[in-house]
Amino acid sequence: MRRLVLLRILVPLLAVLHFLLHMGMGMGRGAPDLLTLSLLLAARELRMGAGAGLGFFFGLMEDSFSALPFGVFTLSLTVVGALGARTRDLFVGDSLRFLFSYLAAGKLLLEAGAWLIAGEMARGPFVQAVLVEGSLAALYGALVGVLLILPLGGRDVLR
Amino acid sequence: MGSYTDSQEEGRGRRDLAVAAFFLVLAIVVVYLPPRLQDHVAAGVRASALKPFLMTQEALARARLRAEDALVLQAQLDSLASLVVSQATLAEENRKLHGLLQLQERAPGTFLAANAIRPGTAGSESMFILDVGSRHGVGAGNPVLMRNGRIGLVGLIRGVRGSTAVGIDWSHPDFRASAMTADGTVFGMVEPRRGEFREADRLLLNGIPFYEYLDSATLIVTSGLGGVFPRGIPIGEVVSMAEEERSWRRAYWLRPVVATGSITHVLVVTDDGAAEMMADLFDGEDPQIPDSLPPTPPQRRDPGPDDEREPPGALDRPGGSRS
Repeated sequence: MRRLVLLRILVPLLAVLHFLLHMGMGMGRGAPDLLTLSLLLAARELRMGAGAGLGFFFGLMEDSFSALPFGVFTLSLTVVGALGARTRDLFVGDSLRFLFSYLAAGKLLLEAGAWLIAGEMARGPFVQAVLVEGSLAALYGALVGVLLILPLGGRDVLR
Repeated sequence: MGSYTDSQEEGRGRRDLAVAAFFLVLAIVVVYLPPRLQDHVAAGVRASALKPFLMTQEALARARLRAEDALVLQAQLDSLASLVVSQATLAEENRKLHGLLQLQERAPGTFLAANAIRPGTAGSESMFILDVGSRHGVGAGNPVLMRNGRIGLVGLIRGVRGSTAVGIDWSHPDFRASAMTADGTVFGMVEPRRGEFREADRLLLNGIPFYEYLDSATLIVTSGLGGVFPRGIPIGEVVSMAEEERSWRRAYWLRPVVATGSITHVLVVTDDGAAEMMADLFDGEDPQIPDSLPPTPPQRRDPGPDDEREPPGALDRPGGSRS
């Protein structure tokens, strides 16, 4: 119950905060990708269809202000949302270590997907864009996710 | 044989899978929508869900502008005023010379101020979004400039929507600019070179003849060749020689006038009159430069209607003035 309430508040809050930091305050890469974080946290609570749907709408919002070809984030986040929801059937995931790995893997998957779909014209080299910058962004996002969950009760929230 | 799960759960699982597949197909459709439809969708989202965030950004940008040091602005205003006063007579002379050489005047309103926003997403580090678009007269290929001590070339517009435009800066792999030294003696091609990190990206002035040697701190500007960029926009300063091919060519590293990380408020050159003018001159069309310029009066004592009149014969050009 506590978990549900916390995530229902946390998820929309993170999405709003994401756009406020990235778009409103123009912080760019300095701010973590809270939208993906929000989707990944929500996906653990949602069924596969709902996860994909949430990813689709988050992706549309991200795409509408992206310099990458339109639809890159819509497709990537839809896949991430669907797969995130699917992990519930595969992992119990009540540890912070799992949460960290799950968030980092989800963000890295998004970066790789976006790189793949963006096409030759709009993307940088794979090693730099995904392996270096993507990995750093994934670790950063995962760390922020864990730090957000800790004050809310840590493992109790995930149980 | 009995099932391991109840039929109701199986049905929900199948429905879930179908919904997920539906959104996946919808997402793929979005990727392949015609650009015009994509623009409509993006504009709709920006005008609804993202509007509060855009308004926040505009408000913050305005507040930042107001926070500019008034003393610095006053000093700049004073400098400009003194410059205008000292060059007041130049405007008249310049107009006459333009007439004599059959060159069109630089159109006022050529530069459009805009705010640049970095998307901050993977693969889009060399791109920026401007808050002006086709409604404001911005077109694909327009050069983008910024003042960073001196005005310098940032990049160019790649795509335009109604009220936004997407541009690439000089660090984008597709960026190329025909360039020359400020005195117009040495020509080459400027292209970006990736550093180990994005902050280490540099510009390379390539294709310099082997017998030409450039000193460090030599200013490199756009040459106007090819008609992409108007002539004379500063690009960078020579730092050192990068490479040389024996008896053939040299290449030099440049320090860009505008650092990509500092791009915030930019100027878009919306009027391509300058580029067209250059294209005309290099098209082989004879600009019919007169053999000798008529003497200008050494001092204008009494500015009257005669002063506005062009010297006889000087504007005797076919087809009238180009504007």
